[in-house]
This record gives sequence, structure tokens and C-alpha cells, in this order.
Amino acid sequence: MKIILIKDTGPTEKTKIIYDLFNALLRDAGMHADYQVVRAADIGIYGKGVVVKIFPGDIVYQNVQEDDVNNIIDTTLKQNKPIKDLRLDFQNKQIRIVLRNCGVIDPEKIDDYIGQDGYQGIKKVLQKFDPEKVIDEMKTSGLRGRGGGGFPTWMKWNFARGVEMDQKYIICNADEGDPGAYMDRSVLEGDPHSVLEGMMIAGYTVGASKGYLYIRAEYPLAIERCQKAIDQARVYGFLGENILGCGFNFDLDIRLGAGAFVCGEETALIASIEGKRGCPQPRPPYPSIKGLWGKPTVINNVETLANVPVILHKGGAWFSKIGSETSKGTKVFALTGKVQNSSLIEVPMGITLREIVFDIGGGVLDNKKIKAIQTGGPSGGVVPEDLFDTPVDYENLLKLGSIMGSGGMIVMDEDDCMIDISKFYLGFCVEESCGKCAPCRIGGTQLLNILTDISEGKATMSDLDRLTKISSAMQKASLCGLGQSAANPVLSTLKFFKKEYHGHIVEKTCQAGKCSGLFKYEIIQKKCKRCGLCQRNCPVGAIPGDKDKGYLIEQEKCIRCGRCFDVCKFEAVAR
Amino acid sequence: MSSSKVNIDEIKKNINKKSGDWIKVGMSTCGIAAGADKVLEKFQEEKERRNLDIRLEKCGCAGMCYAEPLVEIRVKGMPQVVYGKVDAKVVVEIIDRHVLRKQLLDDHIYNIKVQ
Repeated sequence: MKIILIKDTGPTEKTKIIYDLFNALLRDAGMHADYQVVRAADIGIYGKGVVVKIFPGDIVYQNVQEDDVNNIIDTTLKQNKPIKDLRLDFQNKQIRIVLRNCGVIDPEKIDDYIGQDGYQGIKKVLQKFDPEKVIDEMKTSGLRGRGGGGFPTWMKWNFARGVEMDQKYIICNADEGDPGAYMDRSVLEGDPHSVLEGMMIAGYTVGASKGYLYIRAEYPLAIERCQKAIDQARVYGFLGENILGCGFNFDLDIRLGAGAFVCGEETALIASIEGKRGCPQPRPPYPSIKGLWGKPTVINNVETLANVPVILHKGGAWFSKIGSETSKGTKVFALTGKVQNSSLIEVPMGITLREIVFDIGGGVLDNKKIKAIQTGGPSGGVVPEDLFDTPVDYENLLKLGSIMGSGGMIVMDEDDCMIDISKFYLGFCVEESCGKCAPCRIGGTQLLNILTDISEGKATMSDLDRLTKISSAMQKASLCGLGQSAANPVLSTLKFFKKEYHGHIVEKTCQAGKCSGLFKYEIIQKKCKRCGLCQRNCPVGAIPGDKDKGYLIEQEKCIRCGRCFDVCKFEAVAR
Repeated sequence: MSSSKVNIDEIKKNINKKSGDWIKVGMSTCGIAAGADKVLEKFQEEKERRNLDIRLEKCGCAGMCYAEPLVEIRVKGMPQVVYGKVDAKVVVEIIDRHVLRKQLLDDHIYNIKVQ
């Protein structure tokens, strides 16, 4: 069957016009029985006017106008020739390695996973590789920890392998807690066996016979599917004793996190599994040397482990061809915030933020002006729009004062206030701080106090110095990653959006209209058409007046919700 | 070396031999939150009511959260299509048009894979 797929990806909303035109002209040409003309909901291309895809074949046309339709029918459909001027060279920017099976297989059926080359990695390893060779392969691949730190995975494994001990452990860290991040949840819910297989390979390599999947209790479906996967793997003999008849023993259990963010930190996570309070411990010794119950323990993130079976099956060299110089492979991001397509994406390292937001995310919501993108959650920072052409990898993001993090990516537009954002993330860390060390416990609270003062217009310029000082003390002296990185959102907004801080402190204004004490709504009488829409929409009755006298906002009553500002069609409400 | 409990390659061969038409509904947290469980139920109901020879399957999140619930469908003689923003009404349309009359639906296609 031949298909003509149509979608207006620009602002003109011409999908229906071109669609009708194709139908009419095909009927005139007597060809309408051979073609199905269809309007797409999404064609995977953005900002290229009317896009027309013709199947079968690989022809994609962009900016198609009414006049072009006849030409397309004559030249392409009848004579099978492409039209150069309209052609769009389109390449899918996503590569699926970690998410290879998500949305493809039934996660509750082990056979489905096996059908997609599942358990081929462990089979190859057990039958053909000694642990040394696995380490070599992992080294060649260049895989680095996807939980955020970016430590080379092979090195972690090698440390644990090097310690002589009766028992060793593999832990999968699935305590995903960054606001707006759901990469690990999707992998565990969509393809749990890939994580199990990754853990088995890690176990064989370091000499561990026991593993724990540490999943946060807030992910009930992920827990259920992982448990099913473990049960099935046991039945098939992939877990237990003498796996695949190769003399390797390995078994797995699930441990639940009780909702503490800090338990994503590896030493706190270990304490939690041991049944202790989830508090971090000073490192060294690192868990690879002395971890769970004092034994060598490898802790890898869900995404890291999901990469492992593919690397072993297809080879480290294959994997290392994807990505940038220092960061190999792909990264899964949860793209959210003020973006058209909130989605879970997997892209090769080295892709730019601009490509992510505009080519995959479809651009900003409601045609607002984009301001920044937040990466790395509460430990990360913001990257302003003028730096969106930076290729995404561990080093580049670090240079910008942010981090790769586990993969949360939140798009922010002109309505987002950077002080408000810092306050949110810092507030999160203050709430989640375990309270064990003073720099994090006291420093965080003090930082938050200062930020609150700024947002209420009560701060002075000298407070900015205090912000920097306390932040740097926290970075240097905190016990674990939570405290060390809690100030990152503050520092990075201060670096790139100092103007906004000045605005709040000196001019006492919040341009974005988020800090409620620092702005007010007013009706510009000259522009007001007296339609009364603002009055009808005000939830607190703060807009008295009528069609004859006009309207006025009573500042004492106004709660600064912005409804009037949003609903006014004549831009007669000023902020 | 003793033999293992199952033969991976055998299972792989068998599962990939499976042919016929299928419908997959994305049933991860994101899909279920958007109503995927009701969509799956509706498909089940329609399948039984009309006695259709089509496999109904569950899968994980395909990544297009903005278009959940997502349904992927393969029917002989048609390209493999991903439909998004599916509800009970669209389910009936998919069966009526896509499955029975081999016509694509307007305004719900998010991806087409032509083999």
C-alpha cells in the first residue's frame, strides 16, 4: 500500500488544506485508489513547515505549499522522481541501546527478551570469556557510570575483582530520586531482564554470587516486574547455581528504599540495605573495596547495567564508536518542563542541547522564549540558551557548572525565575539532607534563608558574597555528594543569571513573575478594551469596575496568580 | 560441563517464528496514568465481541510520553503503525478502520514503520 503522510510542523496549521488538496488532485488524476492520504499527529520533524512523507520509499518533503502538490503528484508519484528543492535530509537523532526493548517486548515475558538477543551477553561471557577478558571488553567500550558521576565502569569492577574475599556483592542502584527524572523507572518497567543480565555479568566478572536490586518503594510497578523477571530467570536457570551449566552461581534479591533521596548515595544505600539508618559514610574506603557488610561491592546504576549485555554481545569496540571523545555510547534523558514533547529520549553522547530541545523535543511550549535547561537535578545546574550548542558529555556539562547527572532535563522559559528555581532545588536538598554533617545541614539552611530573602526583596548585594562563600564551604566540606553538590543550582544560576539576582535585590523586581512579593499586575487603561474577561477570571474578586468605567486591580486583594495576565487578549495587563 | 535448563537459541528461534497480527499497548506507569489499562480492556472486549484473530500484548514505555496511551499495531497488508492519544473511542476506530478495512486513521499516527 502506498501512503502519503502529512503534517504541518510550522505555525501555519495547513495540514488539513494540503491533505484536502492531495485527495482532490489524486481523484482528478484517477490515482486515489492507490494512495492513502493521512494526517499525522506527529511526524518526528519540527519547524519545517508542511512535511510530506511518501511510503514506501524514503522521500521526505518540507515546506510544502499548495502549489507544490501538483508537482509532487506529477514528478514523484507518477514519474518516481524526487523534487530536489523540497527534499529534506532527515536523520533520526535517537539511538536506542538502553531502551532497545522498551516499548518493543512484553517486560513480563522472559521469552520476549530472549527473542531480542536477551541473555546472549551472559551466555557468551560464561562460555567464552574469563573475567579479565570482560574487563578488557568493558574498558574498550568506554562505558562510564550513568548515575551521574561518570566513573569508568570497568575500573569499578576491576577494583572489586582485585580484592580477595569469600563474598562479594553487586548492587543495582534504582533509587532514582531527581525531580522530573524517570529513566530508570522506564527501563525497569519496560525491560527488567536487561538489568538482571547486566548484574549477572558484573557478578561473574568480579566474583560475586549475590546481588541486590535497590528500588525505591515509590515504583510499585517496577518492583512487581523486576520480581517477576527474577522469578522467571530462576525457573530458566539464569539465576541460582551452575548457571547455563558453566559452574557460575549468582542470585538476586530486591530491597526497597523508603523514600529518602540520600539513599541514592552509595554508602547511604549500603547502610539502608544493612538495615541501618540511611546515612552516608566517609570514603575511602570505597564500596568496591569495602562495601556491603564490609565486603567488596560494585554499585552500578540501572542504565549502566542495561548497557552491559549489549556491550558484551556486540563488543566493546562497537559501543565505543558511538558518542564523543571522552563519553562513549548513549544517554537516556527524561525531557520535561516547558517543551512540546515531554519524552524519554536516548541520544548519542555529543549531541547538542539545541538538537535535543528543538529537533527531538519539538521546541518550547506555547511559543514562549526559552531561557535555560536544567540538567542533573538538585546536584546539577542550569545551562543558558546561548550555550545550547555545547555537545552534551560529562566534561562539557561539568565545565558549564552543571553535571550530566542521572538524566533529568528540564526546559525553562521566560516565565521561570532563576531564584525561584534555585530555591526549589535547594529546598529539596535541605529537606532530604540526612543531617549528619554540619556543612550540609547548616549551610543548606542558611543558603535557603538568603535565597528566601532575595525572593522577598529583603536581601542586599553583600548577601551574594555570602551565597558564594557558604556554597564553596559546602562543596569542600560536606560528607557526601548530596551536600557537596546541593549548592550547584545556586552557583550556576548566579554565574549565568546574575542580572536576575540584581533585579531582585536592587530593583526589587521579578521579571518572570514568580516571586510574588516583587511584582504586581496592572491594567494599562490605554490598551484595555473593557471586555471584562479579567474580572470574570479573577479568583479573588480583586478587579472591580464595569464596561463603562473600566477596570482596576486592587493590589491589597490581588494574590498575583496571573490569571488576568494570561487571559487578556489585548495585552492590557502589565506585569 | 553439565547442560543448562533451557536452550536460549531454541527459545529465540521459536519466539521469532511467531507470526500473525498483533496489537501492543504501552503499559508502563506513564501509559497507565494516561489510561492505557482502559485501552487494553477495550481492545480485549472488542476482540472477543467481534471474534478477531489478533494477539493483544503489553509492552513498556516507548518514550513518547506526550502521546500516551500509545498503541502499536501490525496487521497483514498494512505498515506497522504507532497510534497515540488512544482512548476507548479511538480503539473502536482502530478496529473498524485499521484492522477490518485496512485504512489508516487520521490525526493519531505518531510513527509508521514500513518493512
